[in-house]
Amino acid sequence: MAANNRSDHGSDENTRLYNPYQNSQVPINKSQYLYKLPTSPEFLFQEESLRQRRSWGENLTFYTGTAYLGGSVAGASVGILTGVKSFESGDTKKLKINRILNSSGHTGRTWGNRIGVIGLIYAGIESGVVALTDRDDVWTSVVAGLGTGAVFRAARGVRSAAVAGALGGLAAGAVVAGKQVVKRFWSNHFILSPGF
Amino acid sequence: MQTPENKREPCPDRILDDIGGAFGMGAGGGSAFHFIKGMYNSPSGFRLSGAAQAVRMNAPRVGGSFAVWGGLFSTFDCAMVYARQKEDPWNSILSGAATGGLLALRQGLAASSRAALVGGVLLALIEGAGIVMNKATSGIQQEGILMEDAATMPYGVPMGLPSQVYGQSVPETSSGSEAGSGSWFGSLFGNGKKKESDDNSGSKTQILESFDAPPVPTYEF
Repeated sequence: MAANNRSDHGSDENTRLYNPYQNSQVPINKSQYLYKLPTSPEFLFQEESLRQRRSWGENLTFYTGTAYLGGSVAGASVGILTGVKSFESGDTKKLKINRILNSSGHTGRTWGNRIGVIGLIYAGIESGVVALTDRDDVWTSVVAGLGTGAVFRAARGVRSAAVAGALGGLAAGAVVAGKQVVKRFWSNHFILSPGF
Repeated sequence: MQTPENKREPCPDRILDDIGGAFGMGAGGGSAFHFIKGMYNSPSGFRLSGAAQAVRMNAPRVGGSFAVWGGLFSTFDCAMVYARQKEDPWNSILSGAATGGLLALRQGLAASSRAALVGGVLLALIEGAGIVMNKATSGIQQEGILMEDAATMPYGVPMGLPSQVYGQSVPETSSGSEAGSGSWFGSLFGNGKKKESDDNSGSKTQILESFDAPPVPTYEF
C-alpha cells in the first residue's frame, strides 16, 4: 500500500529508533536499532491525542519542582564560589568548610525559593489559562509568562509589574520557540527520548 | 484505571514531583497562615497591605523548607527502594528518620539523633494512618462484591474474608455444595430458596428462582 512505502532513511520526523536488546546482555554482535517508535505518547484515537496533556496537578509539581531544584543548584554553586572567595589567610580547614557551607546554603536557599515561587505562579497561571480557553499553544505560555512577571513584581508598583510582565512573556515565548527548534534539530540528527 | 500501584511516577521523576508538591503545599499553606497572621498584626486601615507584606516575606521561606524536606525524603525513599528492591512502609519510616537526622547534622550528634527519632515516629504515624484507611476502604469494596455473589457461595463462608481466600473459594461455588445451614449470612439471602430447589431437583423442568446454576442436563431419553 502507498502508506507503507516510506523511505527508510535514518529517522523520520516523529519517530525514534529503538533497539530491543538494549537492556539485556545478549551476545548479538551488533545490537542494532530495529524499530522506529513514535516519540509522543501513543493514543488510539487522534482526537484524544490532541486533547490529552498533563493535568493541572502534574503541571504544578513538575514546573515547581524543576524551578526549585534548578534555582537551588544554581544558587548553591554561586554560593560555593562566594564562599571560596571569602577565605581569609590563617583560616583552619574547619573554618573554610564552615564558610562554604554557610554561603552555599544561604544563596542556594534564597535563589531556590525565589525561582520556585516563579515556577509555582507560572504553573498555576498556565493551568488556569488552559482550563479557561481550552487551548494549549505558544500563546498560553506567553500569557502565563506575562502574568507571572506581573504578579511577581506587583508589590513594586504598576510600572515595574508591567516591565516584568513583558520580560516574562518574552522569555516564555522564547523558551517555547527554542524548544521547537531544538526538537527539530535533534530529531534530524540524534535520537529523542520519549518524554521530550 | 489507576490502581495505587501505578498512580505515582517511577522513582527518579518522583523526586522532582515531590519537591514541587512539597513546595506548593508549603507556599500555599504558608501564604494562608502568614496572611492571617499579618492581618492580625497590622494597624487597622493597613491590614491588607500588612498581610500581603507578611506573605511576601515568609511564604517562599516556608515553601523552601517544605521543599527541602520533601526532596530529601523522596531521595532517601528512592534510594531505599533501589537498595532493598521492594516497596513497603519501612522505606518511608527510615527515610523520614534519615531526613530529620541529616537536616540537623550541623548541630551535633545528639540533636541529630533526636531529630531522626522525631522524623521516624512522624512517618510511622502517617504510614500507620494510611494503612488503616486502606484497610477500611478496601474492606468496604470487598463487602460489596461479597453481597452480590452471596447466593452462589457456599453458606459456610463468613463475611469479610481476605481476597485470596475469596478468590480460591469462588470456583467451588454453584456446584450444589451446601456447606452448613448454620450461617447467619446464608440465611440473609436465600435459605428458603435453597430448600425449595432441593425438593424440586428430581423434576425435569423447574422455575429457576435462585441464582444457582441450572441443573446439569441428563442425557436419558
